[in-house]
Amino acid sequence: MTTFLVSVGIGLATAAILSLSAVAFTLEYAVSRIANFAHGEFLTIGAYAAYSGQRFFHQSVVAAALIAAVAGMLAGLALNACLIEQFRGRSAITVFIATLGAALIVQNVLVIAYGAANLSYSFTQGGLHHVGPFLWTTSDLEVIFSALTVAALIFLLLQRTRFGKAIRAVSQDRALAQVSGIPARRIVMQTWALSGAISGFAGFVLADTIGTFGPQLGFSFLLLTITATVTGGIGRPYATLGGALIVGLVIQIAGAYTSSAYQLVYAFLLLVILMLLRPNGVFVRRTAMEVRA
Amino acid sequence: MYWVSVITEAGIFAILALGLDVVWGWSGDFDLAFYGYLALGSYLTFVLSIGKPTPPVEYIIGWHLPVLLAIPLAVVVVVGLAAVIGAVALRNLREIYFAVTTLAAVSAVYLLVENYTPLFDGYNGVYGLINPGQTALNLTYNGYRIFLLFVVLFLLFLAYLLVQRLSRSPFGRLLRAIREDERAAAAYGRRVFFTKYRAYLLGAALAGLTGGLFAIFISAFNPSAWTPQELLVIYAAILVGGRGNPRGVIAGVFVVYIGFIELTRFLPSPASRPDFGPAMRQILIGLLIILMLRFRPQGIFRERPGVDRGPRPAAAEPAPAPEPGEAVR
Repeated sequence: MTTFLVSVGIGLATAAILSLSAVAFTLEYAVSRIANFAHGEFLTIGAYAAYSGQRFFHQSVVAAALIAAVAGMLAGLALNACLIEQFRGRSAITVFIATLGAALIVQNVLVIAYGAANLSYSFTQGGLHHVGPFLWTTSDLEVIFSALTVAALIFLLLQRTRFGKAIRAVSQDRALAQVSGIPARRIVMQTWALSGAISGFAGFVLADTIGTFGPQLGFSFLLLTITATVTGGIGRPYATLGGALIVGLVIQIAGAYTSSAYQLVYAFLLLVILMLLRPNGVFVRRTAMEVRA
Repeated sequence: MYWVSVITEAGIFAILALGLDVVWGWSGDFDLAFYGYLALGSYLTFVLSIGKPTPPVEYIIGWHLPVLLAIPLAVVVVVGLAAVIGAVALRNLREIYFAVTTLAAVSAVYLLVENYTPLFDGYNGVYGLINPGQTALNLTYNGYRIFLLFVVLFLLFLAYLLVQRLSRSPFGRLLRAIREDERAAAAYGRRVFFTKYRAYLLGAALAGLTGGLFAIFISAFNPSAWTPQELLVIYAAILVGGRGNPRGVIAGVFVVYIGFIELTRFLPSPASRPDFGPAMRQILIGLLIILMLRFRPQGIFRERPGVDRGPRPAAAEPAPAPEPGEAVR
């Protein structure tokens, strides 16, 4: 029972990081209708920016997190302007391959700039806390708290602001939104900035939680992000949050009872099974036609 | 000898690219698991031919077959695996769904091979297949490498003939028709899944063969030899040469492999930074993929459109004038 509760606790912390990354991925998909394979690189850029920033800001965690978010935002804007918008009107798979190329470029620019060896921050993880039946470090608590905050903010943004309404309109039909007077191009750009910022922050949190990170940090987290997104339902922010929760819990609990080396194997098998049975997510009623399109 | 090795490697990858082009270029399925078939073919060639493992090294099977038997056997197993994966993945999944599913499947297998040492000795991989048949052929080491080059080029030629013939055959044309419009092909009574499935198996067979040749070429194989990046280079080569055009694909592989290996060799690589050269090469590959996709997606040699050799009804009998409002085709 202890093993179970501890792994549920770790699972919740994993789910928190995963939810940040997956929500950003799903927002990118919602407005541009493409699966961004360079999404992982936003996380990596955030992590490296925080690493560079921590020297100038005297080990302030808040400053590092902000720098990570800003760097991620710039990366999101750059990718949208230089790549995604250039490929408008091309097939989804073409854009997908192009983002794969972009991921390759970013990873290796980072190798040249920082070296291929793993780096680590010098922030402390803090002591252990018993919260109810769970066991968390201080930074675990901060992660969970910040993920909940981001989720709440995204909910308010999408439901209560004009910007959120515009995002929902663009994600349903960009052309129709355009003729209704919504500046679709600008909304898409702002959404990429937003999801870049969330991803950059997620990258910093991920790197800090794992302890060490390298140029492959985000890329190796990408499949997990996609698993969470697909579990919930791609392009649907709230369902994606649920998916992150499921995936985080499943891999940590399954990993705790077998070997942590196989955690990702479970996640990927889950992804394969979901792709075959429920490609539109577990929360969405099954429609056969959407899969083919 | 340096050039022999470069051309041999390019030749091996050209066979792989021909196989991948059948799956991606003709059939239109962007498969990210494809390198896994090369890896499996390579691993199996090793464990079928290098004999029992000596502890602490461990791997399965450990037979002592001659390579000429081991490679065909490896190809058979690879095709068997592809038969299972293809049967599952090709039925409903298309485009990005197909790509992501194949990536997840190959990543799961990759992690398993890496962490479960009794299979193929984990991170360390398998090794020890050094110039099989060198003594029987009575060749020096260098002589054997030149011999290997000619074997590879001969096999590449055979693969090219096969693929070129298939490309013009009803099978090749049907695949392209399905790629362009799957529903239309299905509406005309063509068996979409079965046709794609056969293309997939053909591609996997060529990948398995490549794996066997690769095993002889580098005489060691471990997980770091089949990361997703390796596959992207092949995709880049197909894009450069011309997707769907066998001659173009081979040209693309030689251009990308020889061009890039040669060009990046002269990049300044400070001794303190051994990773500079390879990283620069990957950046160029990424740029190449994006620029080709953006500005010349058909590649240097474009895919040759099929020729309609049938009788021309339009010339024999004048077509009735289309009704007003009816779409003119």
